[in-house]
Amino acid sequence: MASSRDDFVIAIRSAFLKKETKQKFSLLSLLFLSVLIIFLSSFNFKIINNIRSVINEIVYRSSFIVSLPENFVVNSSKKIFEYSSFYNEYKLNESELRNLKSKEILNEIIISENKELKNLIEDFTLTTSKILAKVIVDHDSPFLKTIIINKGSQDGLKIGTNIFDKNYLIGRVIETNFKSARVLLLSDLNSSVPISIIPGNIQAIVTGDGANSGEIKYIKDNLIGEIQDQSIGYTSGTGDLFRSGVPVGKINVDDRGINLNFYSDFTQLKYVFAEIEKKEKKLNNLINQSDEEVVLDNNVEAFKIKLLNEEIKILDETNKKFLEKNKDLVSKTKELSTLNINLKETIQNLNNRINQNKLDQKELEFLRLNLLYSSKCQKGTFKKGYKVGTPEYKKCILNKGNY
Amino acid sequence: MISFQKKNWIYKFYTWLPVLLLYISVLNEFDLNYINIQYFSFNFPFLLIFYFAIKEYSRFDFLLVFIAGLINDTVVGLPLGISSCSYILVCIFAAYLRNITIRPNLIKDWFYFLFVISLINSINYSVLFFFFSFELDIMFYVVNNFFTFLLYVPVTYFFDKYLEAIND
Repeated sequence: MASSRDDFVIAIRSAFLKKETKQKFSLLSLLFLSVLIIFLSSFNFKIINNIRSVINEIVYRSSFIVSLPENFVVNSSKKIFEYSSFYNEYKLNESELRNLKSKEILNEIIISENKELKNLIEDFTLTTSKILAKVIVDHDSPFLKTIIINKGSQDGLKIGTNIFDKNYLIGRVIETNFKSARVLLLSDLNSSVPISIIPGNIQAIVTGDGANSGEIKYIKDNLIGEIQDQSIGYTSGTGDLFRSGVPVGKINVDDRGINLNFYSDFTQLKYVFAEIEKKEKKLNNLINQSDEEVVLDNNVEAFKIKLLNEEIKILDETNKKFLEKNKDLVSKTKELSTLNINLKETIQNLNNRINQNKLDQKELEFLRLNLLYSSKCQKGTFKKGYKVGTPEYKKCILNKGNY
Repeated sequence: MISFQKKNWIYKFYTWLPVLLLYISVLNEFDLNYINIQYFSFNFPFLLIFYFAIKEYSRFDFLLVFIAGLINDTVVGLPLGISSCSYILVCIFAAYLRNITIRPNLIKDWFYFLFVISLINSINYSVLFFFFSFELDIMFYVVNNFFTFLLYVPVTYFFDKYLEAIND
């Protein structure tokens, strides 16, 4: 018994402490070192954070280079698959693009109006500018859904910066380095976004499910029934983590519950936009405006003029179409009025003929009755009556000989 | 069978291949996630470290394994030191098995490996959940554990062939 225990102790000691051939450190010392690093990384020491940033920079770049062959193979296979369904997608996109173009102009006008109104009601406004960033590491880990982008604190990114794919929200920055940053995707289990569900303006929080969609959580029980399938989820801006009014995804209601299908496919991200906020003071005195602001205002004005010109173009085109239609209508009206005159003349002729006929019929009736009753109405030597041709005579004839 | 002329640069490169593979796998998270099978993933560094630690491969320096763990933490976004600790624990368990084993047996090694990775993944999950408040899906860990265990035998076959070629 004692010897087996001794064997166990010897084996453990050997495993922990014995340095193998060419090993520089024993396993026990490395184990202690790793535990120490875990312990230190749980605190936010500045030195640790700086060391971490340096390691991150080197590792992210190396990871990007190492991933190139695998990414090339994966992307090539995806491209081949995409080419097979290219034409159908092109047709769908074309029709969708036409619809969107018309909507976009309206949206831009509304945005510029909105900016103008915000300037009127606030002393300062938050202007945002989006910068393009490349996704350098995207390993689609099953545990943490994050990506690394090639823009960092040098470019103005900070923890909490919103990240977009086109106009759709995809996540926020959780770690910044000098020239790179880690983005926590909305699909991650640790991600929570306050959203408004439209129609109904229902407030909820969507959390990632660790796959590629989100779960609707923290919603009042009596409002669950009001959520409709295919409703749209926008960021509500509650908590100031995400900007309000950014589309996130579409609601899917089924037997499993209420889920949110994100607009963006997080596995296909290549380039993303990071929204950098600049605080800009509006000065009451226009003379004291800095050159930068003047340029900015000029840019806004130029942008508005561009939009208005586009609007004028659209209105001109519409006007032209209306004028052409108007001409057609005028010529048609002329034709119709001449037709109307002709018809009126015809009706008049017909009326005249009818009246003539009526007169002729009356005359004929008189003549017929005259033949029958003239002896009764005519004045004789010994007979009472009327002189032929007088109105009384005629009346007598028409009354069939009765005076 | 492939044979090498020793001290040739190709031979030297070949001897460093496991370490190189370990670094590529941690930098690239070599786990075939992109094939989109739900929950499918495996931990290749665990397989590699366990095998070469058991075989007491001379080029397989524990310091390099430790650094690989730090890189893995940086790439995945885990708190620094978690993966290093896991990898070193795998090395310790493998070294213990090597010390107590007189006649190596693949099946015994295989089930011992299952015990080791289950234990280490449990420690990982507990540390991340309780000390760092990470929200993690335990299903991912279970499935990852299972596939890593399943792949041990085929991976061992290839590594055996590799060692045979080196010893020639």
